[in-house]
Amino acid sequence: MTRFLIRRILYAIPVLLGVALITLWLFHVAGGDPVAVKLGKNPDPAEVEALRQQLGLHDSFFWQYLNFLKQLVTFDFGTSWSDNTPVRQIFARGLIPTLTVSLPAFTLGSLIAIALSLLVAMKRGTLIDRFTTAAAIAGISVSSLIYILVGQWLLADQWKLFPIWGYEYGPRAVYFVALPILIWIVLSVGTDVRYFRTVTLEEIGKDYVRTARAKGLSETRILFVHVLRNSAIPIITRLTIAIPFLFTGSFLLEIFFGIPGLGSTLYTAITSSDLPVVKAFTMLGAVLYVCFNILADLLYALVDPRIGLQ
Amino acid sequence: MSSEIGSPRQEAWRRFKRDRVAVFFLGLFISYFAVAVIAQLLEFYQGSPFLYELTLSEQGYPIAESATPPSLVTWQSWFGTTSAGKSVLLRVFHGTKVAFVVGTCGALVSVLIGMTLGLVAGFIGGWVDEAVVYIYSTVASIPYLLLMLALAFIVRQGPIAETYRSLFISEYVSLGLFNIVVVIGLTSWVTLCRLIRAEVKKVKQLDYVHAARALGYSRRRIMFVHILPNVFHLVIINFSLTFVTAIKSEVILTFLGVGVDREPSWGQMIAGAKSELMQGIWWPLLASGLLLFLLTLSVNYVGDALRDALDPRLKH
Repeated sequence: MTRFLIRRILYAIPVLLGVALITLWLFHVAGGDPVAVKLGKNPDPAEVEALRQQLGLHDSFFWQYLNFLKQLVTFDFGTSWSDNTPVRQIFARGLIPTLTVSLPAFTLGSLIAIALSLLVAMKRGTLIDRFTTAAAIAGISVSSLIYILVGQWLLADQWKLFPIWGYEYGPRAVYFVALPILIWIVLSVGTDVRYFRTVTLEEIGKDYVRTARAKGLSETRILFVHVLRNSAIPIITRLTIAIPFLFTGSFLLEIFFGIPGLGSTLYTAITSSDLPVVKAFTMLGAVLYVCFNILADLLYALVDPRIGLQ
Repeated sequence: MSSEIGSPRQEAWRRFKRDRVAVFFLGLFISYFAVAVIAQLLEFYQGSPFLYELTLSEQGYPIAESATPPSLVTWQSWFGTTSAGKSVLLRVFHGTKVAFVVGTCGALVSVLIGMTLGLVAGFIGGWVDEAVVYIYSTVASIPYLLLMLALAFIVRQGPIAETYRSLFISEYVSLGLFNIVVVIGLTSWVTLCRLIRAEVKKVKQLDYVHAARALGYSRRRIMFVHILPNVFHLVIINFSLTFVTAIKSEVILTFLGVGVDREPSWGQMIAGAKSELMQGIWWPLLASGLLLFLLTLSVNYVGDALRDALDPRLKH
């Protein structure tokens, strides 16, 4: 177990070094001169010099890279270019609003999708199955922007069931995040049902299900005890890998509903070329992704002892 | 069962044809394609200013230079007019062309990268394989939307835009379109690369590949002539998936202000609907949204049916 963990972590290190290299290259080389980005077309030469010094742009790319790695390890990403707040503080500020939307949406959405796919698998070949599968493929064919636009227009603007825009900290947040959560669930359920249905159907075709049926077990018991347990592996893997994206939240939902979370912060940072923030976000996103991938592998092995931890 | 057994391709087509809905959606897709080709031809033939840039009253029709709901005054007003008084129908018509350019070129770039890297990594193995795996694990570790957005901004302002301006395509393709194609191509090749690599690793153990080696064929010939056709179903299915992703991404990138800018596209119309809906102007969104929906649906459905038809092992 420990050896497996160590191996996976050791393998993750070069990947993260690579991500850091790509990120730095993207923003310091491919994107043009970062100083020009910050100071505009006709900057004051003294300012340019000061900024170059501050960013360490006189150093070779290699030194800039090492410096970036140091920032990463010490978790000190400097300050934002737009308002000079430390990047760390920006994260702390955006985390709560993002999670108040993404956590309930993810939990509810996954539960609904799993329940639906089990139901569909149980009723395989019937009208319910065909209807749900058709609805799922139609559902994923609608642009996510349209769900958001129409949802906001119909439910908030026309029917006044939810506020159109804004956010409040504390318990009143529920009022503001309800509609984004609802839309998130609608957005994710189609894809999830399609995936979980395939997984469940694969299990249902297996011999042990036939044996259970022959023993006279009820369909519900077969489904919820036997099949669900065996299809748990791919389901858990998929859910674990999705967790890092809960932190970035949904750009579009946060922008549309004025939720001051990490998604909208990142969007503002990208549009205003706030390089320190964008670089930090990219790196942290990758770190989370890699960590949860390791976790998924670990869970995989724990759930199914046949998979060795080599 | 039919008595004759055709080539694998004929068999696949036979299996595909059994699904009537899939055949219908394939027909729908082909009609879309025809519309896109006509739009492109008209653009070449007509030249600037394009009809979609003119308001209907400028063309002599009794229609106000503001948003008007669908009417039967002229065929151009069937889907209503935009807030500037231009034909929605013409704009979604042109948008079909943009969608096909984005979808086809984006998917092509992505598939070419993914296919080649996957093939080479799987077949040659050794350090080449390790390098390719390392590259795609690294790219896949960067959150997708973040990489896409960051690239979209970078391609627009940096040296890449300079390169674009010096290329001959800059006369035909706007920077916004070019941008989307590059971004889609560079971000969405990983899945295919992974799949192809895994499949090639299996296929290269088969006897016919050993036979080809024994005959002294070059590695390039074995890879592209002998192995590629046997993993090509993956390429086709992935192409359809990426085609859809690309078109959907156009909408999002254009909404975020880094997409198509010089010409009308579905993304632009959907993005514009944000303020229009609140004023009760629903027809541009309905027209563009519906066209986008039907195209995506037909590709998704045909893609599913293709997967079942081309890879019978997947059928449960």
